[in-house]
Formats: sequence, C-alpha cells, structure tokens
Amino acid sequence: MSPLGIRLEEVSLEVLRQRESKWLDMLNNWDKWMAKKHKKIRLRCQKGIPPSLRGRAWQYLSGGKVKLEQNAGRFDELDLSPGDPKWVDVIERDLHRQFPFHEMFVSRGGHGQQDLFRVLKAYTLYRPEEGYCQAQAPVAAVLLMHMPAEQAFWCLVQICEKYLPGYYSEKLEAIQLDGEILFSLLQRFAPVAYKHLSKQKLDPILYMTEWFMCAFSRTLPWSSVLRVWDMFFCEGSAWVPRVALCSWGGAFQPGT
Amino acid sequence: MEAIWLYQFRLIVIGDSTVGKSCLIRRFTEGRFAQVSDPTVGVDFFSRLVEIEPGKRIKLQIWDTAGQERFRSITRAYYRNSVGGLLLFDITNRRSFQNVHEWLEETKVHVQPYQIVFVLVGHKCDLDTQRQVTRHEAEKLAAAYGMKYIETSARDAINVEKAFTDLTRDIYELVKRGEISIQEGWEGVKSGFVPNVVHSSEEVVKSDRRCLC
Repeated sequence: MSPLGIRLEEVSLEVLRQRESKWLDMLNNWDKWMAKKHKKIRLRCQKGIPPSLRGRAWQYLSGGKVKLEQNAGRFDELDLSPGDPKWVDVIERDLHRQFPFHEMFVSRGGHGQQDLFRVLKAYTLYRPEEGYCQAQAPVAAVLLMHMPAEQAFWCLVQICEKYLPGYYSEKLEAIQLDGEILFSLLQRFAPVAYKHLSKQKLDPILYMTEWFMCAFSRTLPWSSVLRVWDMFFCEGSAWVPRVALCSWGGAFQPGT
Repeated sequence: MEAIWLYQFRLIVIGDSTVGKSCLIRRFTEGRFAQVSDPTVGVDFFSRLVEIEPGKRIKLQIWDTAGQERFRSITRAYYRNSVGGLLLFDITNRRSFQNVHEWLEETKVHVQPYQIVFVLVGHKCDLDTQRQVTRHEAEKLAAAYGMKYIETSARDAINVEKAFTDLTRDIYELVKRGEISIQEGWEGVKSGFVPNVVHSSEEVVKSDRRCLC
C-alpha cells in the first residue's frame, strides 16, 4: 500500500460488479450515506470509484450536482450569451492543446473541443472578474471526459470556488502561498527531499504550479490521475499537497 | 582539471501565449518538433550544452514561461536571475508583435539592478504567406531597443540553433570583456570551474548522508 492509501491494481470483473452495485446504492441514497456513513464513502473512494460511475460520483462528491439543481437553466443562459472577445480569443487558442491524443479532443472543432469551449466560456461569463486561466482547460477537459458539458461546468465551478479557491484568479496569490506551505510541509515530512531541493535552489513554484493548478492531470500516469481525483473530490484540496509530498518523499526514499 | 563547461548562462524565453516558445525550446534541446504542445503553466526548465569555439562549451539553462498575462506574477521572479533572453513574437500574429514593447518594459522593471541581453525572435517564419509583420519593421523595432533580430521556425528547424548560439556568443563576449561578471547571489552567469565545486563539496560534509542523488 502506498502512503496515500491508494493501491493501483487490476480489479477482477466480479469485484468490479460488486463495487458498482454498492456505488449505485450509495448514489441512490446519497444524503443518507453522506449524513451517516461518510467514512464508508471515503473508504470506497480510496478503493477507486468504478469507471462506469465515476462521472456521476464526482458530481455528487463535489456538490456540482446540487449546484446544478439550485441553478437550473443557468448554464444554458451562459451558453447562449456571447463571450467577451478577449477571453474567447485566448480560449480558442487553447482548445486543440488539451489532451490532443485523447479521442474526444483529437479533432479540431470536434465535440470534445466544442464542449470545452462552452464550459470555459460559460465560466468567464459566470465569473467575469476572474475570466479564464490557462490552467483551467485541462481540469475542464478531464471533467468532460466523464460527464456532459453542463455537469462539467458546475463541477468546474465547485473546483474553482470550493476546492482550489483563488488558484486561477488574477494575481495567482493562492497558488504562491500554497507553494510556500508545501515547502514547509516538505521540511517536516520529507526532509531529505527538502534539503536537496533547497540546495539546488528549486523554488516550489517552479514545479508545483502545474501540479497544483492542473490537479496533477498533466503530471501523473492516467490511472493515478483518476484515483487521485477520486480522493480529491471526496476529501478536498488537502489531497493536492499530500500527493506532492508523497511524490517527493517516495523519490528520495533510501533504496528506491 | 578540465571543466565540462566554461560557463553556465541562464536564459529566459518570453512572449505572448501561443507564439511558440515551448516548441522553439524543444526543437533546440530535443531536436524535434511537437505538433501540439500543452500551454505552459508557470515555468518550465530545459538545458543544453553549446560549443561556441572548439573545446569551449557553455551550458545553457533555459527557462520557459507561460505566456498568459495572469502568470506574470510567477514568471517575473525568473527575470532577475537571467543573463539572456529570447523575446518571441509570432510573425503571423500582429498583436504579439505589438506587445513586444510591453514585454520589454515588464522585464526592465523586474530585472533591476541587472540587465538581460535580449534577442528579438520572429517565430513561425515557415508561415510566410500568413505574415502580418514585415522583417523590416521587426528589425527597426529591435534596433531601437539595441537588440538583434532573427526569424526562426521550430517546424522547419530554421535558425533555431543560430538564435540560441548567437545570443550565447554575444553574452560570452560581454563576459570576456568584463561587462558582465559572475556575482554572488546571482544565477545569470556561473563558472564551470570554481564556485560550484567548492560549494558542493563543503555542503556534502555537512549534509545528510542518506541523500542518494
């Protein structure tokens, strides 16, 4: 078992079916489970959400589902409004550069890229004072691989406002602050890595900006990305520095 | 003792989003062209040795930066420790050329008390039919700021080597003439011989022996 409690292993079809039915039961009685058996939800997230239910589970876990219900029709409104040309221009330049080898995003102007545009543009209208940050695109793309545009939009809203507040806004102060926090966590929990990085004068901001702002979606092997995101949605943003600490700690462990 | 490299120069590559900064650096350091490249988030780092005279090698540390304005609060911290810079615009994107002035102002403010030797790079010159900036006006702008101008293409590998090695040579000349010197607490130029070696051996004695790297 890795320090994160995530075990990356092949699951037999039988086990997978069992897990799917357990998850179906949870999702169908979500409020009850959340109120009374949160620990169990956590444990099941740790084992990995079954791929067939991952998109739905992420919407429940993040609160994107509730947000959508509270704001019915809002996405359609935003979707129909023309975007600020300043943002539209920047977003359009990034559409073909997100997971370009994924079948959803491979063709220029294809459905994946169109939906990505809709989600990102809608966000610039939803939070005009924040606009668009280039690191939001891979995050939105991962969401779109798992759910339709409207659902992905509300999950993105939750990530930007609840999970990683301030990460994408104007001065990027939150990410710089988290870089400093990560560095002091490293000192405490991964001292060997900390010493090495300090000696080489590698500021955390150099390597953690992409890790944190893209929630590791461009950094880790794909199967790990999904498992990290399962836990991220379940337990919140503490998972982001945790993954960073384990990566550095693991890299500097004697004998590895 | 012979050093692998004489000096290490730290270069920074800046310019608007999508002008091709990462592709240019990849072509130079990895010798290949990526059809698509992820938008750079924050800063990225590359290095390569360059032989400027037979037997004289310079190690280049190249810092790639995000072009989106939002990232400047992060990228500007890297200007200060750079001795040279490639300021890119895309010859098929007039706006990116108009922003050159703003980039220079931005660096000037944040590089004090040091200076960066810049070269102006008109990138994507393989797309000549879509050109929106003439060579003449780019040369004029470069001259006004005391920069050299060069046109490059990462796709067709045009002038990529030249852009980096010419800049390296120019900096080397300035170092030789004493106009740029190695300074404590500044990473722009480092010698391949003395300070690093002494430094690290001192630290090895003090540092944790479990470090396996």
